[in-house]
Amino acid sequence: MAVKMGFVIITSRCIDCDACMVACRAENQAPLGYSRNWVTNSGIKGRFPKVKQSFEPGNCMHCDSPSCVAVCPTGASYKRSDGIVLVEDAKCVGCKYCVEACPYDARFLNPNTGKADKCTLCIQRLEQGLQPACVQTCLGKARQAGDLNDPDSVVAKLLDLYPVRRLLTDAGTGPNIYYIDVPVSEIPEGK
Amino acid sequence: MVSKIYTWEQLFSRRQFIKGSAAAAALGVAALSGLWDLGLGYGADSTVQSTANQGIRYVPSICEQCVWRCGIVARVEDGVVRKLEGNPVHPQNLGRLCPRGNAGIETLYSPDRIKFPLIRAGERGSGLWRRASWDEALSYTAEQMKQIKDKYGAKAMMFNSTDNLSQPFFEILFKAYGSPNYGTQRSLCFNAMTTGFLYTYGVAQPGTDYRNCNYMIFSGRNLAEGISNIETQEMIDMVARGAKVIVLDPRFSKTAAKAEWLPIRPGTDLAFFLALLNVVVKEKLYNQAFVQRYTQGFDDLVKEVVRYTPEWAEGQTEIPATTIRRIAREFAAAAPAAIAHPNWRTSNFINSFQSERAIAVLNALVGNWAQPGGLIPDQSVNTAQLGTIAHPTFPPAQGIRLDGVPWLYPMVPFAFGVIQTMRDNILTGKPYQARGWLISRQNPVLSIPERQKTIDALMKLDFVAVIDIQANDTAYYADVILPESSYLERYDGLIPIGNKIFIRQPAIDPLYDTKSSLMIYKELADRLGLGDFLPYKDEKDLLTQQLQPFGVGLEELEQKGYYEVANFKVDHSKDFAFQTTSGKIEISSSVMAQMGKKAVPTWDEPPKPAKGQFYLLTGKTAQHSQMFTQNNRWLLEVFPENKAWIHTSAAQQLGVTNDDELIVASEVGKIRIKAYVTEGIRPDCVFMVGGFGHISKGLKAAYGRGASDSALHKALTDPISGSSALSQTFVTVSKA
Amino acid sequence: MHNEFAWGMLIVIYLFTAGLSAGAMVTSNSALLFGGEKYARIGRWGAYIAPFPIALGTGMLLLDLGSPFNFYHLFLQLQVKSPMSYGSWSILLFTLLSLVYFYLWLPERYQFWSQPQRAVHWQRLLAKVMPILAVIVASYTGVLLNAAARPLWQTPLLPELFLVSAFSTGIAAVILAGSLSRRWRAKHHELHILTVVDVVLVVIELILFAAMGLSAQLGTLSQRQAFAQLLYGHYAWMFWLLIVICGLVIPLVLETGELKGKVSAKWAGSLAIGSSFLVLFGGFFVRYVITYAGQWTGWVR
Repeated sequence: MAVKMGFVIITSRCIDCDACMVACRAENQAPLGYSRNWVTNSGIKGRFPKVKQSFEPGNCMHCDSPSCVAVCPTGASYKRSDGIVLVEDAKCVGCKYCVEACPYDARFLNPNTGKADKCTLCIQRLEQGLQPACVQTCLGKARQAGDLNDPDSVVAKLLDLYPVRRLLTDAGTGPNIYYIDVPVSEIPEGK
Repeated sequence: MVSKIYTWEQLFSRRQFIKGSAAAAALGVAALSGLWDLGLGYGADSTVQSTANQGIRYVPSICEQCVWRCGIVARVEDGVVRKLEGNPVHPQNLGRLCPRGNAGIETLYSPDRIKFPLIRAGERGSGLWRRASWDEALSYTAEQMKQIKDKYGAKAMMFNSTDNLSQPFFEILFKAYGSPNYGTQRSLCFNAMTTGFLYTYGVAQPGTDYRNCNYMIFSGRNLAEGISNIETQEMIDMVARGAKVIVLDPRFSKTAAKAEWLPIRPGTDLAFFLALLNVVVKEKLYNQAFVQRYTQGFDDLVKEVVRYTPEWAEGQTEIPATTIRRIAREFAAAAPAAIAHPNWRTSNFINSFQSERAIAVLNALVGNWAQPGGLIPDQSVNTAQLGTIAHPTFPPAQGIRLDGVPWLYPMVPFAFGVIQTMRDNILTGKPYQARGWLISRQNPVLSIPERQKTIDALMKLDFVAVIDIQANDTAYYADVILPESSYLERYDGLIPIGNKIFIRQPAIDPLYDTKSSLMIYKELADRLGLGDFLPYKDEKDLLTQQLQPFGVGLEELEQKGYYEVANFKVDHSKDFAFQTTSGKIEISSSVMAQMGKKAVPTWDEPPKPAKGQFYLLTGKTAQHSQMFTQNNRWLLEVFPENKAWIHTSAAQQLGVTNDDELIVASEVGKIRIKAYVTEGIRPDCVFMVGGFGHISKGLKAAYGRGASDSALHKALTDPISGSSALSQTFVTVSKA
Repeated sequence: MHNEFAWGMLIVIYLFTAGLSAGAMVTSNSALLFGGEKYARIGRWGAYIAPFPIALGTGMLLLDLGSPFNFYHLFLQLQVKSPMSYGSWSILLFTLLSLVYFYLWLPERYQFWSQPQRAVHWQRLLAKVMPILAVIVASYTGVLLNAAARPLWQTPLLPELFLVSAFSTGIAAVILAGSLSRRWRAKHHELHILTVVDVVLVVIELILFAAMGLSAQLGTLSQRQAFAQLLYGHYAWMFWLLIVICGLVIPLVLETGELKGKVSAKWAGSLAIGSSFLVLFGGFFVRYVITYAGQWTGWVR
């Protein structure tokens, strides 16, 4: 099967420390005021003392049919054969159409470059056999990335073992971040 | 030549910064062209193909974004540190970094770094400075220190430092100088715990085996927000594994979000643990064989805890008696893979020492000592020993200590100290007047309760010198600032962990005219005529001496980042050789008995806030370290300011919604702070993260953000442990 | 991720001016094709207005680009899935042709033709082509927002709304110019027919808003919440006061009053000016509110 890169994120293992955000900032030189990834916080829900709080890391979902790619007027936004959605800076005019079109707010216009900016799944690291910066640093091993179609990958194994959900499937873009909310006692070995 | 006088603004404006130093020129260019635009642009994959770039180096070293000492590998591209990553071989973090560790690059390249030595050029605290050469700044400091010694004796000079790799060498300088006055962070942090465990087990800080633990009670350790890297990782794994975790906290912390949350009334953790003891004793849930063999004083405990029924504790803690009883039974059933965590700050009340004693004893009763999933004995015996540095005998410290140990606090261990009392006695001038203060990498203005008193104390002194990488709030009131190289630009003393020895080494040469603290201490010692006490030419010379017992050269260590001691034997023979008077775990403390105090853990009623007052709670956030990182702009991106947590019902009464400004006032101070209205806190409490509210204009990103808890905290000291009872401060809250 | 508005006032101005130009163009084309000499002043004013607002708007569009010097990439290709791609081409073509059309309407002494009939020939030819382009320019902005997959923008009625609003503002601009100028001042019968059409458009616009509201109620939670922002949320005062009351209801009342002859001839001129100004005003805020409220509201997770 074709390679299909994506994330599996285990929310039960996230403590909202934001290490992934800072690691991404360092690795990808995101300008102050902007971030390629995030951790959303549900806020403290319920009535004292019966309260709950959950944390949900995220970034570009590298969708199956990305609306950002569809709307790009110059072909700068594109989806690689391995599923990674990227921006080719040379072609980008900075119209922000893709920024608007992303239901996940995963893109921004980088004021330093004048180009649309987003998670690249750290392709520069993947090429060196490294994990994306956010995955590499995560204290809870909550963030996992890899080939969703490769049965030997950590992500595929997790998909196999646990119930998952995706965000805003209504928006119809076919997101490739799968969320696991139940406890995951051990991260399976894999690629 | 009359040197020019600068304000902070001028001193660190870009123009000055480039003019300022030749060493800075290279970076100046980088800063002008936008540091991050240099080299690789990863935006599009067309540019990424050039990742096989020339001039990439990977430098293994040790993090210093907090005191935990994680292993890092710095990626340096053409002389610029681009990325910090956890070192997979380092046991403190196993390759992962927390947000602070990831943000070390911004600490290094912060525009607010102090770039050359500064000597005060206006009133103290005026923010007017002139640039000085190292020679002038060090000679001036040494002269002042000598003058103080000549005129008032060595005791009039105080030395302060905090946990860091070069601290031992600062302590050598302090001891060589001959002063009895040394302050650390300890009494503001975990004195109650370390003293409580020391008096019970003879070990100040036992470890905790998260990996095998099935039942954990936290009552002052918030690992999701007070990150200690590997412990936090293990805690997450523990929760994921399905271990039971109980969190006692008046506030719904992020650790509590992963656990069973018990919103206990502040100051009553002691009652909770006494009730657990009551149930464990009454229902005979303890490990009888272990108690008999390894402990002393059990019978006294039985007598004492009879009255601490869960029903009694419910009245104190507001935790249902049934819950307390259930936890006692579950805990005992899970033992020995069950831990009542020793914590760091516990409840921050005067009675915290008793709480810690109760916790220590509870662990002893279930016999989890040196068992899988239990407490881990002192690890220092199983740590490689570095080569010692030969130096002359220290002169006897002259005079009694300003911090009241032992004349005011006979039971506080000498090494722990009571920094808040030391500060107070600068103001009282008793038992004698302090004159000078040398502070290395510490920020008493923001860390010690009653901030105004600390500022007043600084103003009263003849001489204040500060060693730091940035103009922290204390440096702002200094006469001399000796700028230290950041942790990515310097060597520090080696650090052994288990059978490995790790090195902190420069990833790049210093950007500015700064020095390592090792060399600052050394050169200061030379000028004080105490050079023999720090017998090294330079950092490498010192590290070579530290490496002397091992068959490894410094170069190899630098290359690999660590050295693994061959055939290192882990010795468990002394696990049960308790370093107490009785040689046993002292349920009944002989030290307490000697001092004429009740020797078993006992109830000590905490004060309550009056009507209309709130308990003031303080704590950590995962994104910042104490008072040190609030100027780090990368971290401000993820945690920009602290807010006052207040319960929905209390907020309603005040007519306050989220982000409204509040005035929070205690007996000693008043702050303005934004409200965070939540169901996640007891209605009688207000919580704020510490470390914000910086008053140094030299910290441009942090200045004016949030508010400082130390402006509100009363300096209340537990006479037994010396611990500062931070949460025993009560406040009123009103809408601004 | 961040919460700024990626598209701001520059885009609002562009959306407004493009519609205005398209509307003015169609007004002129219709006057020429169906009205002939009798409606010549409408034809002229429409032609004179059409090129300029959109040129200004295109300038704004360029200023809004993160990499304005890269703009030519828009014209190196046609991305069929991207409304902005064919929109860019349409704007370019429309602006160029509207300039030609404008030139053809200039008085004879500016024409280079030896025979004035040649100009008329081309005029009529363009007048048949331009409405197609105008409809594309006026409505593609709605398709553009449709494709941006935000709950508020997803309504299929958005292109229709923008189209109707475009024509309405185009007509209003012609009324305004025709009433204010001394030369080529619009005749009463010309203003009358424009007013009739405008009333119809305003009524359609009101119906479209109602239909959008209704369909949102039947849509997803995200759409309901997004529309709620418009009806009684953050943008409600703008929507009701500036768009519905000032931009639609008052002009409607004034114009129907005028058509029914309830207004004295003395006031008819000022009234036409006033109501067409309000239509323009309202038309601007239609773009403003849709643009901002669309970004303000997101998907409900």
